[in-house]
Amino acid sequence: MENNLNEPRTVSRIFSFWGKQLAKTTGRKRFSELVFLSIVFLLLIPFLGTHRATDFAIFCIFVLSFDLLYGYMGRLSFGHLLYLGVGAYAAGLSLRYITTNPLVAIVIGVLAACVTGMTAGSVAIRATGACFALINLAFNRVGWFLVMSPLKSITGGENGLSIRNLSLGLFDFRDPTFRFLFVLISLIFIFFLLRIITSSSYGVLLRSIKEDEKRVSFLGYNTYFYKWINFVIAASVAGFAGALSALNYGYINPNILDVNANSGVIFACLIGGPGHLYGAIVGGVVYMLITNLLPIYLQRWELFLGVSLLLIVFRFRKGIWGSLENLYKDLATREIANMSSEKGESK
Amino acid sequence: MIYSIMYGLTIGAVLYLISIGLSLTFGTIRVINFAHTITYTIGAYILAASINELGIHFFWGGVLAVLIAALAGYCIERFVIRRLYGESLDYTFIATFAVFLIGVDIVKWIWGVYPKPLSDPIGMYINFMGSIFPVYRIFVVLFAILVFFGLEIFMRKTMVGKIIVAALDNKEGVRCLGIGVEKYFSIVFILGSALAAAGGVLYAPITSISPYMGMNILLLCFAVVLTGGMGNLRGTFFASFFLGLLMSITGRFWSAGSEIIVFMTMAIVLFFRPIDV
Repeated sequence: MENNLNEPRTVSRIFSFWGKQLAKTTGRKRFSELVFLSIVFLLLIPFLGTHRATDFAIFCIFVLSFDLLYGYMGRLSFGHLLYLGVGAYAAGLSLRYITTNPLVAIVIGVLAACVTGMTAGSVAIRATGACFALINLAFNRVGWFLVMSPLKSITGGENGLSIRNLSLGLFDFRDPTFRFLFVLISLIFIFFLLRIITSSSYGVLLRSIKEDEKRVSFLGYNTYFYKWINFVIAASVAGFAGALSALNYGYINPNILDVNANSGVIFACLIGGPGHLYGAIVGGVVYMLITNLLPIYLQRWELFLGVSLLLIVFRFRKGIWGSLENLYKDLATREIANMSSEKGESK
Repeated sequence: MIYSIMYGLTIGAVLYLISIGLSLTFGTIRVINFAHTITYTIGAYILAASINELGIHFFWGGVLAVLIAALAGYCIERFVIRRLYGESLDYTFIATFAVFLIGVDIVKWIWGVYPKPLSDPIGMYINFMGSIFPVYRIFVVLFAILVFFGLEIFMRKTMVGKIIVAALDNKEGVRCLGIGVEKYFSIVFILGSALAAAGGVLYAPITSISPYMGMNILLLCFAVVLTGGMGNLRGTFFASFFLGLLMSITGRFWSAGSEIIVFMTMAIVLFFRPIDV
């Protein structure tokens, strides 16, 4: 608290200005969100290069889909990478065997992830807590096995799958700048979609399921159905991210389905602050920065990841965005207090 | 066919040794312990190190491995799990996964990432109905059955075991009797870690050891525990041998499907009998 008092006035003003802008979720004020997101990712380009920035944006889409499941519905999945992988493989395979149109491939990827989510979700959603996580983990493992051995002749197994035919008219996915813009626009689109979903009455229902599922079902809602719908949405968005990453790399590797990599998403979601869409984006960027830059300086980055996960769980549960929000609330209340005291003095 | 049944029984035995700790920890503390198989990895690595570098016999290497893994289990329990009693499952899950990551990285740091092979310590073979089995595998199966009966007697006849069984059923009730349950939970955790390390020691000569070996077997153990019922000792025993046999028999006809069938079985069991946690 004392640090806050000493910080420069301008910084706190800018901070509270952005806080106000971002806190407004209705009407045309949402435009400021778009500006905010675009600025963040455009700022990343000079540091990282276009390809990396595209990668970051795709990962953010994926973290958003995970956050819908974990942050909003309170169901921790340890196998969300399955849908990313399904989307990537479906898009890649359709580009290889069926179509030459990358947009159609993206749609096929999303549909494939959606269908997988529907079938796997109908089983997984019956469980709660740890069982839910474990069932998803098992599905993820099964998917990995399917790609690695039985479907080896189609998917290329360990060698991966390379994709050609990336361009169609204006949509030239061979051009990194175009890829970046396309991904950025899709990130903003997904962000708005999820913003609408989570601020609707359906989103409120999801959050109440997180708080207490039994009470929601006492109110007469069929909670299974709503949870299933949410699972399918999260899976489809993840599939979209997968299809985009397939187009971005032009190459798919079975590591995209690796079970161990799920910890990365969970870490990203937690460090950003679960239950906030911005939290997901902040967490995605921070996590990608850590994994991209840290191995250069520090060989034992897995150790670092583990220790920081423990610290998050024990000390820092709200994540970066949650803490920022608290700070903003503190500032806002102090401002109000200042204003009222000033008024009191003038009177 | 007989060979694959034998192989299935071996896998079932190892799975039993590891999942019993998982099942007990879950039944008492309500913590899904992702870090459980890190003691299995540590056990296998310490065995390899003590045989290759200290040059001691397999048996003493195994004892050393189990002791050190029990110590590691105590540390995990003391510094991580104990802070998580009564927390929501998600956080315990993430925290224990973090412990797993730390453990794997320490193992990689000390011993390197490359898999290490270990030779069969007994090296004798037995001829049974025209097929040749290593004696070692029969020993592994017998050891698991011994542990099963030992645990049954421990849980039924000793005071500590009775308290643990009671706590599995109703933790609050036991606490109301004026018994400090937490102490017994630590005992359960250390016992589970030691058994997992024993599983690692016994399984190491059959496969090669690598830092990520814990992850692969952990998934199978979760499948065993979920199929057998959380905190159900006998259920875990039967489920592990059943799934081990299922794995090896499927693997005989369709080599890629051996792990898929395990998870499918788990999904079917959970579909018809969801566990409300």
